[in-house]
Amino acid sequence: MSDKIKNKIITISFVVILFGVFIATILKKDETISASERRKLAQFPNINFENITSGKVAEDLDSYALDQIIFRDGFRSIKSFCSNYIFMQKDTNGLFLKDGMIYKMEYPLNSKNVKKSAEKIKSVCDKYLNENMKIYYSIIPDKNYYLNSDYLKIDVKDVQNIMKESLEKANYIDISNALNIDDYYMTDLHWKQENIQDVVKVLEENMNLNDTSNLNYQKEELGDFYGAYYGQLGMKVMPDKISILKNDTINNARAYNLEKNSYEEIYNMEKWKNSQDKYDVYLSGATPIITVENPNGPEGKELLLFRDSFGSSIAPLLLENYQKITLVDLRYVSSTILDNYIDFNNQDVLFLYSTVVLNQNILK
Amino acid sequence: MVFSSITFLFYFLPIVLGIYYIVPKKCKNIVLLIASFLFYFFGEPTYVILMAFSILITYIFGILIDKYKKTTYSKLFLVIAVVISVGLLVYFKYANFIIQNINLWLKNKIDFIYVALPIGISFYTFQMLSYLVDVYKGNAKVQKNILKLATYVSLFPQLIAGPIVRYTTIEEQLENRSHTFEKFALGVRRFVIGLGKKVLIANVLGELANKFLGSNEMSVLYYWMYGISATLQIYFDFSGYSDMAIGLGEMFGFDFLENFNYPYIAKSITDFWRRWHISLSSWFRDYVYIPLGGNRVSKIKWLRNIMVVWLLTGLWHGAAWNFIIWGLYFGIFLILEKLFLGKIIEKMPKIFAHIYVLLLVMISFIIFNGESTTQILTNIGGLVGIGNVPITSPESIYYLKSYLCVIVVGIIGATPLLKNIFNSKKLQKVTNVLEPIYLVLLLLISTSYIVDGSFNPFLYFRF
Repeated sequence: MSDKIKNKIITISFVVILFGVFIATILKKDETISASERRKLAQFPNINFENITSGKVAEDLDSYALDQIIFRDGFRSIKSFCSNYIFMQKDTNGLFLKDGMIYKMEYPLNSKNVKKSAEKIKSVCDKYLNENMKIYYSIIPDKNYYLNSDYLKIDVKDVQNIMKESLEKANYIDISNALNIDDYYMTDLHWKQENIQDVVKVLEENMNLNDTSNLNYQKEELGDFYGAYYGQLGMKVMPDKISILKNDTINNARAYNLEKNSYEEIYNMEKWKNSQDKYDVYLSGATPIITVENPNGPEGKELLLFRDSFGSSIAPLLLENYQKITLVDLRYVSSTILDNYIDFNNQDVLFLYSTVVLNQNILK
Repeated sequence: MVFSSITFLFYFLPIVLGIYYIVPKKCKNIVLLIASFLFYFFGEPTYVILMAFSILITYIFGILIDKYKKTTYSKLFLVIAVVISVGLLVYFKYANFIIQNINLWLKNKIDFIYVALPIGISFYTFQMLSYLVDVYKGNAKVQKNILKLATYVSLFPQLIAGPIVRYTTIEEQLENRSHTFEKFALGVRRFVIGLGKKVLIANVLGELANKFLGSNEMSVLYYWMYGISATLQIYFDFSGYSDMAIGLGEMFGFDFLENFNYPYIAKSITDFWRRWHISLSSWFRDYVYIPLGGNRVSKIKWLRNIMVVWLLTGLWHGAAWNFIIWGLYFGIFLILEKLFLGKIIEKMPKIFAHIYVLLLVMISFIIFNGESTTQILTNIGGLVGIGNVPITSPESIYYLKSYLCVIVVGIIGATPLLKNIFNSKKLQKVTNVLEPIYLVLLLLISTSYIVDGSFNPFLYFRF
């Protein structure tokens, strides 16, 4: 190929790409939501004199152009591919793929944040809980914990060492040995409900509850599940399958959503159909306070479960031992106003939090 | 607006290129002028007035200097114009630094002034100064068309991060320049390579440097990784931007001079500064060092001249002591090389000369990036294990594995190896086929990194 032809090809290719992307992006209808990333996309900015002179229009236009470019997901996939396979980086924006499973690096351990989380839990204990109540806490390891030593990860023992300084009155239940990497979704951070009966067993043993490990649940597979990490990584991987466990106790139970002032199913099939996050099928997902009532449960036996999103899928499996479980998510309700909604009397209390949440200091 | 943004790449550039090539020749400079002001307005909506004012001052005083040529008025007008231009630069860039240092000696402290640094002020001020001095010396014809002068000063490819284009370089091209497929393709090549250098290497290594700065797990290995990644980052960031500027210039028919020439293969610090930010070092040589007498004075004055230039070079980079120390650091080594070190280095095996340069340059960029004396000393001391730091840590080993490939690509890319392969006549048939493919892929991959990445600073914007 002569230099002349080469120069023409270079010029034409460049112009075609520049104008092609420009025209295609202009013609494309603006999208409002990125389904893969589960976030709202920037819209065309509001242009007025104040926004122009303050530079806000320029900033907003940059965000708009970035979010609305044509083939956006395709570009993100190219980036992940190059980062992983050409530059051989071990992670892309903290996310990495190993043996078909997507991980997000939770590192380093933020001792101050864990300490603040522990202090928040302690403040709940001091303010609301009495000496007759049995108080437990447990830490859900991030799935990276089960990876080999090539990766940076937070050790649950280090988290526990910080937590125990603040939570002297609570009993620690170690569930890390009841889990392994297969108990987590491939594309999401959460554990699979159908794989956590060993965790339930450990909790029951330590909380002096009846052993329910012999119970038979009917497993109902709902369908494909693309977890939160799937969209963030931007690479094509096989979806997970999401399943729900059922038995008579769960079928007869019902959940009361305090925020909506309405009763809901334990497994919210509307959320399964319509929610961006299919994990919301378990007790309707993120909810400040929700109570689960088991009409056939042991008379007067109640559990206060302070939890994050992992708690939604394990709560139904704890129902056999309780007449009522109140799930409190301190990320969405302030710990200072809990007595407006909850009668603290003689309940069992379990603080069940993942290392991801404890490491971020997001409890209110 | 930065070149490595979607707004620039897929909105601004196609629109400007489209209009520029559609309009008749006589309107091309006007299109560039409007585009350049819009480009600047996008990032600095209020300071665009300051730039316009500076251009107007330069225009008026350029005419006055020329009109009264060879009279004392000419010199007077030059001095007034320089005082105004440098005064604006000092006010906007150095006022608070001066107040901060004066306050150290005062009981009644002076209040700080609340001004933001206008983007690119150091670059366009130096361009205007070079024009005024060149007109005064008769090295350049005065520009009587304010639109053409404004086009020169505000030309968006080099407006906010250089290179510092002298008026004499593009004086003819402002009147008459050619537009060919060959030139455009050359511009595309430079632009895309510059974009790749910036987005794929500088930004990625910048992430590593930031991870180091935010870490609590220090180790000797980590200090070295920081030093190396920061050294590569600043080179690929700035030379990538210069490549993009030169490439854009070519697309619009201009020929800017080179700003970098593989500085990391230099065999001495003197050689390094012939290859690094050439437009700035040659500016200081021609407009400060030589007017001070250069080396044609007594030895003491010569040494003074060198230190003045390097003090100013440091200050040009920022209003902080670390930049001054950085400049003086190079001044001292340049003097030592001129006095005796240069001869010793010349006799050394090449490899030791390279190691000498790279070590000094790496330490210089640790100083350059330092936010406090303590941080600078810690980061330099850490290289030899001062502070009881372990040799390695899990974090440093993880990130070494993660960034090793980018570092290696960076090291290779900092040498002329790839350029020599592409320019090899033996391989011309193969490279001619591969080059368009490689450039398209590089553009698409760079775009994907911009779309996905949030880390996209331009280090030289602060100047």
